[in-house]
Amino acid sequence: MGNEAIARGAFEAGVRVVTGYPGTPSSEVIMTFHEEGRGLPIYVEWAVNERVAFEIAYGAALAGVRALVTMKAPGLNVASDPIVSAAYSGVEGGLVVLVADDPGPHTTQTEQDSRWYAKLAKLPMFTASTPAEVKDTVKKLFRLSEELKLPVILRTTTRLNHAVGEVVLGEVEVLNPEPSFRKDPPRFVRAGMRWNLERHIWLDNVLARVEEAASKLSFNSAEGGGDHCVVTEGVAFNYVKESLGWIKDIDVRVIKVDQIYPPPKAFLRRHLAECRRVLVVEELDPYLESEVKKIAFEEGLKLEVAGKEEGLLPLEGELNPALVREALSKWVNINVGGKPTKLYEATVPERPPPLCPGCPHTFSYLALKLGIARAGFKLSEVPIFGDIGCYALSVNKPIEAIWTEHSMGASISMAMGLKIAGYDKPVVATIGDSTFFHAGIPALIEAVHKRVDLLVLILDNRVVAMTGHQSTPAWEVTESGRTARRVEIVDVVKSIGVDEVVVVDPYELDKMAGAVATLIRRPGVKVIVARHPCRLMEVKGLKTTRKFRVLEDKCTGCRACVNVTGCPALYFEGGKVRILGDDCTGCGLCARFCPYNAIVEEDGG
Amino acid sequence: MSGVVNILIASVGGQGGLTLSRIIAEASVIQGLSVRTGETLGMAQRFGSVLSFVRVGERVLSPIFGRGEADYLLGLELVETLRAVGYLRNSGLAIAADEYKPPVSSSLRPAPAWSKDSVARALREVLGDRLHFIPARRLAVKAGSHRAINAVLLGVLNASAQLFTHRVVEEAISRVLHGKAVEISVKAYYEGFNLYKESVGEGCRGG
Repeated sequence: MGNEAIARGAFEAGVRVVTGYPGTPSSEVIMTFHEEGRGLPIYVEWAVNERVAFEIAYGAALAGVRALVTMKAPGLNVASDPIVSAAYSGVEGGLVVLVADDPGPHTTQTEQDSRWYAKLAKLPMFTASTPAEVKDTVKKLFRLSEELKLPVILRTTTRLNHAVGEVVLGEVEVLNPEPSFRKDPPRFVRAGMRWNLERHIWLDNVLARVEEAASKLSFNSAEGGGDHCVVTEGVAFNYVKESLGWIKDIDVRVIKVDQIYPPPKAFLRRHLAECRRVLVVEELDPYLESEVKKIAFEEGLKLEVAGKEEGLLPLEGELNPALVREALSKWVNINVGGKPTKLYEATVPERPPPLCPGCPHTFSYLALKLGIARAGFKLSEVPIFGDIGCYALSVNKPIEAIWTEHSMGASISMAMGLKIAGYDKPVVATIGDSTFFHAGIPALIEAVHKRVDLLVLILDNRVVAMTGHQSTPAWEVTESGRTARRVEIVDVVKSIGVDEVVVVDPYELDKMAGAVATLIRRPGVKVIVARHPCRLMEVKGLKTTRKFRVLEDKCTGCRACVNVTGCPALYFEGGKVRILGDDCTGCGLCARFCPYNAIVEEDGG
Repeated sequence: MSGVVNILIASVGGQGGLTLSRIIAEASVIQGLSVRTGETLGMAQRFGSVLSFVRVGERVLSPIFGRGEADYLLGLELVETLRAVGYLRNSGLAIAADEYKPPVSSSLRPAPAWSKDSVARALREVLGDRLHFIPARRLAVKAGSHRAINAVLLGVLNASAQLFTHRVVEEAISRVLHGKAVEISVKAYYEGFNLYKESVGEGCRGG
């Protein structure tokens, strides 16, 4: 997998510090170190959020050791503050920042194109096209980072991070840097405005050297000849190469750009001078396309440039081989890809991702809805702000709980905003444990300090569940085996000074509904910590789980069970509800909502 | 082999579709072939629709392919198999496990209730004799666990496509899985392989 190749590349480069925050499609880099790298003298740990992760890696790089930090695209937004400043101060040891964009999008709130960040932060950015290539790219970027004394960003997209392909392993570099840190205020203190101006000039001088330094490490390549040129990068290169197999009559030159920022001007000038027509194929925004047009303008080249701005490829969504073939067909006016095949079609019920069988979030949101009703409010008048994590899946039928899902930690602050705008009914924020640690704490401080009336549910399942069960600051031993000090959410919440805090197990549905009904009417900031481990984690530790079955003669097919819980282990067929025995985790929630007592625990279960 | 074989694995998260794609990728590498797989992990990992693209050949670059380009569709679940038929070539073959895990949406009032039979019927109508309907659960359980349904389909695939030798498949399974699951999956692979051989009467590539 691309992410495994990135981990391997960093390992071969002698990396000493690896950190980040889980986020699809970037998570498997650190997970690979955790699985394969036990016992190695490398610090590999998840951090509380991306900015902290970057700052840790940055501090390590100041000491002269090699460091890697990983994040998904919105994580780069979180880390952007220290990243932009780091361009002025620079590094000693190599520092590679992995940011994984998600065209599609498959698992991300926006189709952010993080290439623009390189321009904004004035930091070199590179990309790669295949798992084998990205492993070597990582190694080269550590060297480049040290030569330039700048952090370097590796930008990937989902189809590289999660693509599996053959990779040839290389030698591991043996580096034994003696960690040191020399006091140098003009370089490391960004409080001096004259120093900042000087460092900006230094940075611009370094950026002017990037292409030359990178070319020694062999980035960017061109193949083929003729005046028809395709400029491409990253995963799109693969689609271009395979599509060109269909074109026999026209020579097409493929210009592969690995250096995203600063653009490799000399390389592009050299090749574009041979071109008459240019097609730019790239994921997300027409970033490369604007660079090509700029160079053509600066050089006075008479180029006919086509790409996303001309509508040959879509501005939104993910590229795929068929889209690229179609664009090439139009561009060369040859039907590329042969006869269109007749597609089979079928209409199938949708499968929006559900909360898992026995998920404590299902219990929490049911308790919340019951509590709101019990307190005398309509569900339609009590906004439930959501946050980032599995519990956002509660938006789907039949639970349909959350009204918003925005960015890490935003549930609490957005709920506060609605309240101070004058909204006169109760407002609820729901946030997961890891999201609370990541960005919820400052928001809670704000709400407490301004004495806003707010009910906050912290959905504490003891793990970063959605991205594959990573550790939180509440773990006493991390994935690497490191003994850690447990940070207790209740202590944090109490120390902030909330008006009331209650800890409940959402599996005790009535108790939790009662807590909601009581607290929602009271003034001030009230916190319910709904604590129950992620069921998928919990059942792994259980020797046996209870199993439930449906008494066919009692089941009337009313479907109350599935209509309330939305449990994916239940389904309706032949006028009766059935239970998928493989998937049932024995939580018993369905049985509780069956009005006919038709769902019972299996004997000896 | 010449050209590239495109395989699409359609499954419900948690069924082992990703493991199956990994085993095929591993087998390709051991066999000395080029391979790419493309899938999205993370959200909807469990109980959501999961599509894994697997491409095996002498030289493969792209990790995904388009609709109408799959040579094989491996369906670990009937609804997902039906959802993915648009990816199959006109000459492509679907290998479908007789597993039925309908999405929650189709069980909610007042949505029209689908049944296992109606989904299977729809698949047969669309694909005709291009559909191999496999009693995968029965064979997997015979091999030791229902969790080896993916390996049963691998057996059917390899009997039909003749991509790998048995030794290569066994090696790939032992690299991807651990413990008892290795033995069970190897058995399940042979169950699938023999089922196809018996029904079609063709020899295997040996090994």
